[in-house]
Amino acid sequence: MADTVATVTLTINGREVTVPKGTTVLEAAKSVGIEIPTFCWHPKLKPVGACRICYVEIEKMPKLQVSCATEAMPGMVVNTESEKVKEGRKAVLEFILINHPLDCPTCDKGGECDLQDNTFAHGIDDSRFDFNKYRFIRERKSTFDDYRIGPEIVRNQNRCILCFKCVRANKEIFGEYDLGVFQGGNISEIDTAPGEKVDSIYSGNLVEICPVGALTNTDWRYKIRVWKTQQVKSVCSYCADGCNLTLWKERDKVYRVTSRRNDVIDEGWICDVGRYGYQLASVEGRLTTPLIKKGDKQVAATWEEAIGLIARKFREIKDKKGGVCIGGLISPQQDCEALLAFSKFFRTQLHSNNIDFRTEYKMLPEKESPYYSRLTSASFRIADIENSDTILVVGTNLIKEHPIVHLRVRKAVNQKGAKLYTLNPFTTKSGDLSRDEIVHVPGTLEAFLNGLCIGLAEKADGEGNVRAAELKARLEPNTTAKAAEICGISEARLNDLAEALRSAKKISIIVGELVSGSPAREAIAAAIHNLTVVLNLNERGQAAILSRAANSKGAERLGVMPSLSKELQQKLKSMWGGFPETEGRATDRMIHAAKKEELDALLIIGANPVASFPDGQFVREGLDKLDFTVVADLYETETTEKADVVLPLSSWVEQSGHFINLEGTMQRFEAAIKPVGNSRPGRQIIEDIAREFKGGLFADAHEIAREMQELLNVEPRPSFPDAVAEVKFAEEKIEKDYPYPLFVVDEMHHFGHLTERSRSLAAFAAEAQVEISPSLAEKLQIENGSLVRLESETGKLVLPAKISEMLDNDVILISRNFSGTAANMLQMRKKRIDRVRLIRVDEK
Amino acid sequence: MEKRILFKYIDDPNQIHIDTYIAHGGYKAWEKTLKTMQPAQVIDEVKKSGLRGRGGAGFPAGMKWNFVPKDSPKPRYLICNADESEPGTCKDRVLMEQDPHGVVEGMAIAAYAIGSHLAFCYVRGEFVKPAALMEQAVKEAYDKKMLGKNIFGTGYDLNMVVHTGGGAYICGEETALLNSLEGERGMSRIRPPFPAVEGLYACPTVVNNVETLAAVPHIINNGGEWYASMGTEKSKGTKIFSLSGHVKKPGNYEVEMGTPLSYLISELGGGPLDGHKIKAIIPGGSSTPFLLPSQIDAPLDYESIAAAGSMLGSGAVIVMDERTCMVWVIERLIHFYRHESCGKCTPCREGTGWLEQLISRIERGEGKPGDLEKIDSICDNILGRTICPLGDAAVMPIQSALKLFRDEFQYHIDHKKCLVKSEFEFK
Repeated sequence: MADTVATVTLTINGREVTVPKGTTVLEAAKSVGIEIPTFCWHPKLKPVGACRICYVEIEKMPKLQVSCATEAMPGMVVNTESEKVKEGRKAVLEFILINHPLDCPTCDKGGECDLQDNTFAHGIDDSRFDFNKYRFIRERKSTFDDYRIGPEIVRNQNRCILCFKCVRANKEIFGEYDLGVFQGGNISEIDTAPGEKVDSIYSGNLVEICPVGALTNTDWRYKIRVWKTQQVKSVCSYCADGCNLTLWKERDKVYRVTSRRNDVIDEGWICDVGRYGYQLASVEGRLTTPLIKKGDKQVAATWEEAIGLIARKFREIKDKKGGVCIGGLISPQQDCEALLAFSKFFRTQLHSNNIDFRTEYKMLPEKESPYYSRLTSASFRIADIENSDTILVVGTNLIKEHPIVHLRVRKAVNQKGAKLYTLNPFTTKSGDLSRDEIVHVPGTLEAFLNGLCIGLAEKADGEGNVRAAELKARLEPNTTAKAAEICGISEARLNDLAEALRSAKKISIIVGELVSGSPAREAIAAAIHNLTVVLNLNERGQAAILSRAANSKGAERLGVMPSLSKELQQKLKSMWGGFPETEGRATDRMIHAAKKEELDALLIIGANPVASFPDGQFVREGLDKLDFTVVADLYETETTEKADVVLPLSSWVEQSGHFINLEGTMQRFEAAIKPVGNSRPGRQIIEDIAREFKGGLFADAHEIAREMQELLNVEPRPSFPDAVAEVKFAEEKIEKDYPYPLFVVDEMHHFGHLTERSRSLAAFAAEAQVEISPSLAEKLQIENGSLVRLESETGKLVLPAKISEMLDNDVILISRNFSGTAANMLQMRKKRIDRVRLIRVDEK
Repeated sequence: MEKRILFKYIDDPNQIHIDTYIAHGGYKAWEKTLKTMQPAQVIDEVKKSGLRGRGGAGFPAGMKWNFVPKDSPKPRYLICNADESEPGTCKDRVLMEQDPHGVVEGMAIAAYAIGSHLAFCYVRGEFVKPAALMEQAVKEAYDKKMLGKNIFGTGYDLNMVVHTGGGAYICGEETALLNSLEGERGMSRIRPPFPAVEGLYACPTVVNNVETLAAVPHIINNGGEWYASMGTEKSKGTKIFSLSGHVKKPGNYEVEMGTPLSYLISELGGGPLDGHKIKAIIPGGSSTPFLLPSQIDAPLDYESIAAAGSMLGSGAVIVMDERTCMVWVIERLIHFYRHESCGKCTPCREGTGWLEQLISRIERGEGKPGDLEKIDSICDNILGRTICPLGDAAVMPIQSALKLFRDEFQYHIDHKKCLVKSEFEFK
């Protein structure tokens, strides 16, 4: 930052130190490498000064001061190592240890424990305490205690040093109030509020920040000593936030995942999906060898046989009907190297543009859709959210979809006073933070956004905004009143939001998958685009449709889509010496073509469209018509069942590679273990097929890297062109027979179709549930856990109900992460909003 | 001589009713304040009076009010600290039970002085009756339009809420009180920020003791100079002392600051019980160091008691005669402080527990050689090492007892029995 920051100069241990005003003495000391021991201090939490280990002596102050909570002042003379300080520290350690069990031999924290380390560095080797140590009742029986405070967290209060970091982070950072301090004085204990458990999406962080072994998780407990493990740098492979991770492994097993703090992205917090999702790599039932369908059975085969068969079949089809009769679907959780190889294989060897990574989206556009793709490729910085004074969250249950972006929004609101508005078809957790949680009639989002544009254009026209008049003209004769009516929102609230946006200095508009997965995405994107124009957002903020998965952005930037921007096409053409002229098909059109027998083969890597494509009937019919289906995955899925060749795929902990997060930042992750069984990484599978089919795709690793870099150098589309888009005002019809809007979404603790294999994540949720609001439950007399039947035009489904306090309107949410649920049987790809009726099933 | 100002109508059972209170000249000061004074003038008058905080710390009230930032756009809050829990102290309870409108009026004036439109009275959880009487007084004040909207037609609004705590000593500490009032666990906060800048809900807040606020209407009615004419040079006005222990007439006595301790004990309290001699005096509540009978002539004001080696504190004078075992006294006290430690700061949390274990075993006759030195050292490691003064409060009487009556402790350890041979049982 070029701004002049006021500084303060003080003296620490005889050294002059200059720090920005507002820095604590502790941080000032740290900045010049002077270490002061701490327990309760955490860089991202407000200091509380509870543990008292960070004493320093400051001239002119008679008492020892806690450096974590003392602001550095000009001319201060600080001593961190005086005799008085040392005595003070020793005293604190003596106090902490009098009732501490010192059960280090059986404590999982041993070897990375702040109490061990600080006692080693500053403590005494004997205790003057000659009483029996206090024992908390629940842990009195044995050392191998088992008092759970959440699905994954075990508490041992005897070890707790009451730094309160878990309780503080839970409230301050995660906004959770399920954990608290009970009793008082030296028998204070950390426990859950009555009837609560620590089960938020962020719960694992509480274990990670515990300085001792008081909170441990069942993932890591009693499995290995930390000093026997090696640390591997990794990046999360689930959502697109791109949190940095450390994998802790020994030989061929990963034992845990912790955060690897990156202040630009995650600030040291990760969600439980990232923390426990690695477990799926080493669960029973992994596919370890290729399978080839013989008759009705898939039987084990060698890689040579499998690859040989694929190459032969592909050549047959290509020779007979052309490469365009082969399509490819690849998971956006595959690394950049695999994605690029996939695209290169299809485009240079099969001469087909039939590739896509979006298997969970409805009706994708046939042509490049300008406003939508502009918003998906707009530049967006997670860290910039906190510099915004006004934030608009549209079409996403943010905490579920992008847990770490949600934390940044929380920070902006709670620590920086930003105003948050949410705009969703149902209530979400983010709404709790908002000035106004606007819940519109499902399916009417663009009407609301256009209404906002009308309100803003009227004001901006008066203020000399050149585009405002044009926009106003285009929106006529619609009015804010009309828009408000369509969406079921009062006009006053719409106008309040318009005014908040108009008067904002810096804005972040965050758009999620309820928009990107909708067939109306282009109309909504056009309305958001108009909003950015009338707000002149180029100069005062950011707006983006956030990409969904770890490497969705990579897939976009590297061109794993049927239709590409001209620039990208041009670059690929020159790089590869050619580019297929034929029109490509997106996911839904590939399936459509299969149904019509215009597509003969599909190569599917890591994706499970049979269960995830939002039209179950359609995708099943399509895939049944295919001549030849190749599916690579970690486990058997609904899609591998339909395959002629099944290939065992490696998980991301078994390979190195790169992911591009939703900001467009490419991050490298390292392999922690060897591929499980005979599995192979996606990129190797593609390379193997290509080599057998025609020849290798890349000469060496350098060539991949170079090509990736060249593609990434192609500018994504300019941020916001100064032009007004077409306007649509859709009204949503309510169908009497199917009254409730249905949203098929990710379960809070799951992502994609594989995380149900993670033992820890299954402990949070192991089966699909029908989430409904308390009011709807009351209306239909449904109790928590009772079975309900959902019926849509296309299918039926019986599942247990879950009454969610978060919801307060009549919508239905089902998770799509569990095998055997087939929630997509209720969906239709062309329908903007799926609708169902809900019937209580009376158990016999 | 008693000087009854706050206690003027303390014996009138009807004083709790607003009509009687008004008939006795009540709410005149409130009316005068709203109709004729600017907030700054109120603060000036209180500054002039020299009124100091009666909760224990003795911080000048007017100065505290002045710390509230004038330009803050945030709402401000006034809080009356009625969490009176210091062992020996029972003055605020009497004020609330016998003259609750005096407290309400004082709160109202103070709220006006700092520009607050919402005042809280945080009453100790066990104070069921005082809380009920305060609530009734507030309700009466609303009914008479002394509170609410547009008071006295001046356009000034003030709301008042009586809130009962959960019954924790720590919540008498102002930052713990703020946490408790916010619905959090009652644990002290680090300062800065000070409550005057960031207090309740991170807004400017002033927390004053009941007795301090009850003195304010009298200062407004009679002028700061009148109040300052009483007392000593630095300790002005009157103060209520809660006299308890081995005296003939224990009770609450309001006297001018600077009145000799001996006058309070001998004249007002009727002196020690017949046939007994005073052994030790706690002058300012259980957390203050002991005074010896030789110091009985010390004047009761902040400076003189400090000069005598103790503190005026909340004005709870506890008298003990020669039959009192000091080990037993200290055991009772450390049990209290261990129980009331909030658990936040390590030295207080762990130290009070350890001290209780050590002192209990000495009291039981199981003390070991070296225990007294260990206690000395633990006390040193707690004193001045915690956020709030609870740690200091726990330690100061112990240090004082070990200094003045060390032989009694040593006797317990060496002979496994009590030196005092107490025949007087408190049970």
